[in-house]
Amino acid sequence: MITDTVRPHRSLWGDAFIRLRRNRLAVTGGVIILLIALTTIIYPFFSRYDFASQDLNAILQSPSMKHFLGTDELGRDVFTRLIYGARTSLSVGIFTQLIVLGIGLPLGAISGAAGGRADNLIMRFVDVIYAFPDLLLIILLRAILGGSIYMIFLAIGLVSWVNVARLVRGQTLALKQRDFVTAARVFGGFGSYITTRHLLPNSLGPVIVAVTFNIPRAIFAEAALAYIGIGVKPPTPSWGAMIRDGNNVIFAAPHLVLFPAIAIGILMLSFTFLGDGLRDALDPRLRR
Amino acid sequence: MTKYILHRIFWLIVVLLVVSFITFSLMHLVPGGPWDKEKTLAPQVVEALNKKYGLDKPFFVQFGNYLVNLLHGDLGVSYSRQDRSVTSILLTGLPKTATLGAIAFFLAIIIGIPFGMAAALKQNSAIDYISVLFSTIFASIPGFVLGILLIIIFSVTLHWLPTGGWGGIRQIIMPAFALATLPAAFIARITRASTLEVIRQDYIRTAQAMGLQQRVILVRHILRNSLIPVVTVAGPELAFLISGSFIIENLFSIPGIGRLFVNGVFARDYGLIMGSILFYAFAVASINLVVDLLYAVIDPRIRFD
Amino acid sequence: MSDKPLLEVRNLSTYFYTQDGIVKAVDGVSYAVDRGETIALVGESGCGKTVSALSILRLIPEPPGKIASGEILFDGIDILTLPKDRMLDIRGDRIAMIFQEPLTALNPVLTIGLQITEALERHRNMHGAVALEEAIRLLKIVGIPQPDQRVKDYPHQFSGGMRQRAMIALAISCEPELIIADEPTTVVDVTIQAQLLELIRGITEKLNTALILITHNLGIVARYAHRVYVMYAGHIIEHGSSQDIYHHPCHPYTRGLLASVPRLDEPRKTRLQPIEGQPPDLIQLPPGCAFGPRCPHVIDACRQAVPPMTEVSPGHYAACRLAVPDRKQS
Repeated sequence: MITDTVRPHRSLWGDAFIRLRRNRLAVTGGVIILLIALTTIIYPFFSRYDFASQDLNAILQSPSMKHFLGTDELGRDVFTRLIYGARTSLSVGIFTQLIVLGIGLPLGAISGAAGGRADNLIMRFVDVIYAFPDLLLIILLRAILGGSIYMIFLAIGLVSWVNVARLVRGQTLALKQRDFVTAARVFGGFGSYITTRHLLPNSLGPVIVAVTFNIPRAIFAEAALAYIGIGVKPPTPSWGAMIRDGNNVIFAAPHLVLFPAIAIGILMLSFTFLGDGLRDALDPRLRR
Repeated sequence: MTKYILHRIFWLIVVLLVVSFITFSLMHLVPGGPWDKEKTLAPQVVEALNKKYGLDKPFFVQFGNYLVNLLHGDLGVSYSRQDRSVTSILLTGLPKTATLGAIAFFLAIIIGIPFGMAAALKQNSAIDYISVLFSTIFASIPGFVLGILLIIIFSVTLHWLPTGGWGGIRQIIMPAFALATLPAAFIARITRASTLEVIRQDYIRTAQAMGLQQRVILVRHILRNSLIPVVTVAGPELAFLISGSFIIENLFSIPGIGRLFVNGVFARDYGLIMGSILFYAFAVASINLVVDLLYAVIDPRIRFD
Repeated sequence: MSDKPLLEVRNLSTYFYTQDGIVKAVDGVSYAVDRGETIALVGESGCGKTVSALSILRLIPEPPGKIASGEILFDGIDILTLPKDRMLDIRGDRIAMIFQEPLTALNPVLTIGLQITEALERHRNMHGAVALEEAIRLLKIVGIPQPDQRVKDYPHQFSGGMRQRAMIALAISCEPELIIADEPTTVVDVTIQAQLLELIRGITEKLNTALILITHNLGIVARYAHRVYVMYAGHIIEHGSSQDIYHHPCHPYTRGLLASVPRLDEPRKTRLQPIEGQPPDLIQLPPGCAFGPRCPHVIDACRQAVPPMTEVSPGHYAACRLAVPDRKQS
């Protein structure tokens, strides 16, 4: 009589989700992001102020009951502008990733799966973009493409796809060697089929993590552009622009600079915690 | 080994060529020529100016001329300050940017590596938790945000330090720290992770099995192996430092290359923009080259490939 | 043999405390080695043989592992109670270890010479040129050609067999009284295996070094070991002279092991006889004999309590209720 003890089997995603839940920092980050996102959606329905409405009788006020976080140099409510700025930052952060995935995934997969000359060519191109300090390239692109928010997505996205492409390529290369790919070939699978059905799903984990880490960088890029003065065209609020404007009166009203700065920090931090948590949760080496 | 070096130098040149080509092309795609600033100029004036700067020639001729000048170290003439060459303008900014970058890098290493190692060696202790928490936090907050916080605390509230400018320790300490924290946090994380890996390795066990003392093992076996991944990261971090410094320079009003670059973008000063970008690309690429070489020195396995 | 064994492991238990439970890697294990004697610790992967060896040198990582109980007497002294710095003096100098995988067991960024000379500096007070000379001499003894040049090479520049020889050189560098060889030949191929084992035997005979040979390879055991200890699931289930174990195995596990080895003198068409079942989960061991679930002769008494070690014939012991010497044909 043979008795076996077998531990319960869990899928990679189920396992990962459980581990993610246990990570308090990651959960906190995720919750903060959700809260901010919800606020940006709901707040416009309830707010007394618009982000552009000026009240020149009430400029540079400190936080008070009337203006939760005070007013700026044109009498605009800081809290409202902060929330709308969050909308800008979040949309930039997230939508840029669509472009990143749209370019990075296919290029990386092709590069890794096809190998040879295509791989070489694509990788040299990636190396060149990598050699560029990314913020500078983004500035350049922005100058060409203009200041609408969609162009900002494009400018940032066109520069940020490189690390996803490299990642996917690395994953594809590693997976190509694995036996299950050879098995798929034996059973009649061919190039693009194998790539989409086998290789891509297996790279999904690290790609998700990379994208989650890309988001704060995109948020920072947008804020940096706005700080220099070439961000999203006004009157659309942006945290970077708020800092730029507030810098002039920093001694009189430091809160104008402080709050957007803290906001940028918190949002970036939340995404980073989430990314860390995802990375640990999806790490196959830590699986039981 | 020399083949490897030559190979890398060759690539450096190729990359710089491509970078300059792309930048050059992009500059020409920017809507509005270099003269489109505040005042509109009469067409003849525009035409004369274009002629003077060779902007009426075909694209590739312009690019060719540019490259030739480049080899002579001449980055062209600044369009906004027509009496000065780009090279001389950049040279005024270079010492400040370089000093700031160097100090920040130095700080990052001095703080990052010891913290990372201590955290790994005393795992699960207080210093480990603090180190991990701080490095996670500071690795996510951009130096820019930190710089603002520092200014608000030390300049606006406490009045201890000036908000910016250039001249001495009082001016440089905040920007250097603001610039250094992110790389420091990153380096601490990598050092900790890598030291943890190294400690688990079989050869550490062999050293222990031979009865070597912990101190000897630490210095001779652990340190060198742990630092290998750190060197790999240190290069790009330094490069990032240099290129990201321009935001900090703007924040603290430091007259370095970053500020010049931003001003150039506003003034549509093609020459200055191109020159700055080339400078940054060159700095990044050569730092990466140096790091690769350093890597070969530290890890003998690479040397003999 | 001499009066007292050089090394005596008494009732050693080494456990690992994990999130899933306590892994009893070694549970109440006892064995002994005399001066100059070679014993073999035999068993499948995971049976605890390596852990018991690491316990001797106290190289068990303290969380999550722990030497829970027992004594290890080396030359009469219980080394488990020694302060750490005295233990460091013994390691490498009086007891040395040869590890299984020399590629990972040697530091890739240091030369072979440096790794040997640092041991010489530590224990034999040799420095500089003197130490280097000695390192070269050691490399020569283990059969590495051009030792004066190879001493400056890095581990990755050696072939597998050469690396293992270098590890042997390191192990014998301080002329230890006991060498523990953990699967020294597993990673090399068969021809090199024989060379390495002959080399080790030659050295241990010349220096009268005791040797604990850890292996799962029954083939080498017979030829090189005086006595054999068979381990299963953290216990010693049979031990005796290699003659006894080979020709008169008692424990069903030992017999199963021997039966499952393909032999040249049997007709090719004979099917291999594996041992049924899987090795047990060391966290959830059954209360009785650990081998019970897989044993073809198991009875109720086996399932209730761990069978005691019984002497089957002089010097030959087995932990089985049905221990009956199996008289093989001729």
